[in-house]
Amino acid sequence: MTGTRVTLFRLAWRNIWRHRRRTVLLILAVAYAAFASVFFWGLNDGIIASVLTSQARFSSAPVLVTTTAYRDDPDPAHALPDLAVAVAVRRLPQVRATAPRLEFPALLRSAYTAQSVAARGVLPAEESAVSAVPAHVVAGRMIRGPGELVLGRGLAERLDVRVGERAVLDTASLAGPQAAGLVVVGLVATPSPAVNDGAVLLHLDDARRLTGVATATGIAVDVPRGTEDTAARAIQRILPDGLHASGLSELLGPLKAGLDARRASSIPIAVIFAVVAAAAVTSTAVVSVIERTREFGMIAAVGLAPARLARMVVLEVACTTAIGWAIGLAAGYAALIPLSRVNALGRLFGAVTASFGFPEELYAAVHPVYALYATMTILVAVLLAMAFPARRVRRLQPAAAMRME
Amino acid sequence: MRTTRWWLWLIATLVAVASAPVHAAPDPGALLRAIEDNLRGGSGRATVTLTVARPDRQTEYVLAIWTDGQDRSLVLVKAPARDAGQAFLRVADNLWIYNPRIKRTLRLPPGGRGDSFLGSDISHSDLSGRDAERDYTPRVVRDDATAVVLELTPRPGAPTPSGKVLLTAAPRTFAPLEWVFYDQRGQAVKRITFSTHTKLGERAFPTRTVVEDLTRPGYRTTAVYTDIRFGTPVPDACFTLRALEQGCE
Repeated sequence: MTGTRVTLFRLAWRNIWRHRRRTVLLILAVAYAAFASVFFWGLNDGIIASVLTSQARFSSAPVLVTTTAYRDDPDPAHALPDLAVAVAVRRLPQVRATAPRLEFPALLRSAYTAQSVAARGVLPAEESAVSAVPAHVVAGRMIRGPGELVLGRGLAERLDVRVGERAVLDTASLAGPQAAGLVVVGLVATPSPAVNDGAVLLHLDDARRLTGVATATGIAVDVPRGTEDTAARAIQRILPDGLHASGLSELLGPLKAGLDARRASSIPIAVIFAVVAAAAVTSTAVVSVIERTREFGMIAAVGLAPARLARMVVLEVACTTAIGWAIGLAAGYAALIPLSRVNALGRLFGAVTASFGFPEELYAAVHPVYALYATMTILVAVLLAMAFPARRVRRLQPAAAMRME
Repeated sequence: MRTTRWWLWLIATLVAVASAPVHAAPDPGALLRAIEDNLRGGSGRATVTLTVARPDRQTEYVLAIWTDGQDRSLVLVKAPARDAGQAFLRVADNLWIYNPRIKRTLRLPPGGRGDSFLGSDISHSDLSGRDAERDYTPRVVRDDATAVVLELTPRPGAPTPSGKVLLTAAPRTFAPLEWVFYDQRGQAVKRITFSTHTKLGERAFPTRTVVEDLTRPGYRTTAVYTDIRFGTPVPDACFTLRALEQGCE
């Protein structure tokens, strides 16, 4: 029996390369379906991850250490007891930099109008390591010391305040009602509308004076892209009681939920795509069987039983699709891996995608599960490809088949 | 003999010149203080008729004001009926408002001092407090027989978005005549004109104040003080949250 199977396999393998053009066509169809499936999901997931990572670096932080009370109620009254924990956090291998932040609600007034804002007190030199905002100053410069303010460009336009003019920041916290006139030294414009319309950066010393908080409300932590949640868990393990490290999933929970929903909505598209790809593979396989009806008739006439003939056809399709599947996977991952490390997509499409709120840096994602998605697509195609031609071959009448053109 | 007389004349001349009174440069801080003293009138109470004029309508309020002449004041709205009972309390940088309809006292944000009072062109800061002395550095622009003019520029870090204020007062009495507020681009945005001054002890208190929004034609608010009883101490109980609801009679 085993010898029969080997003979059938060798027969099938030989048949494949006897009809080279047909075989290459089928391989290409399968490879394309596998490649497109891997690439689609890698790009889809990569864009989602890029949006999250980008948003974290504009509006929040890759990882943020706060008190548990502040996480539940972001009030300056729940500030960190001290900043000694930053030293311990910096010693972790995955941590690249840390920066203290003091965030508080305030009223920003110009000579013409006022607006509620969420102000952020920072140390300019350290903030650049954890945030992308300082690199997006489009007018003036980043703050250098106390008495200075950087605003989002949209916010400045709404308040009608220009670089070089004074705006007043009012707040009421531990120090009671406080107000300060600060000079606007720079305006920022980023791909994030929330930042453009709401960013207020001032020096940490000014924030401390206004709020009466001696430390900070949080410590922003810089970690490599894509490792935010893992790093947050590692940081949490070394934090004392009462402190909490939040990764992207917590910091951008609503955004992540929205993006996950978007990912789920891609599934029907992917299914339609997979069905089309499977149909392409199946049709190619079916056509190749139909075109060989006379050949199959001759093989059946010389003694190969219809059942084994059908099995041989199945083996032919299986081998061809396996080759195509492997090539497609390799090509798909070969395309994704460099795109996951180099911002080629962002550079190519940045001007267009920015207008839709997409980040400037777009990376693809690489995950073994994409091979499973591609395999499922090919599997459906192969099952269909095996079922129809195999049935046709099993019912073959050798004499009638040999007479077919 | 002639030589001796010549020397004597020279010494006498030098002594006369040395003892002649020197005209001291005016102290801008003292001038500003004197002007603000006149403007605030000291501690006491008064009735104010506030007329808010707009291009399409005019509204009149009657207010009762208690002040300690410094940074505490209580304002009760007596008329019209729909606004009667509202009260405003200012203590230093804190500002509260009482709404009789909901019987609640709300604390306004710190920036509320600069907000419009009852929708008029007057801010809470205009009604009480000595923010000018705290937030601005004065400079004498003119000091002669016709007027004293001070230019106030914001101190570094002062919580004011204004570019400068030009203050005009009467010479000798330092009765405030006009305040003009400029934005940081040199444009005049608000003008306050003081008139009908009345003598309250040492002070020349303006009983009529007109505030014009120079960026919006037709926007003007007039405050006329009557029943003025300044120079009398006001009990501390008048500057408490309880007084917002119950008054201070």
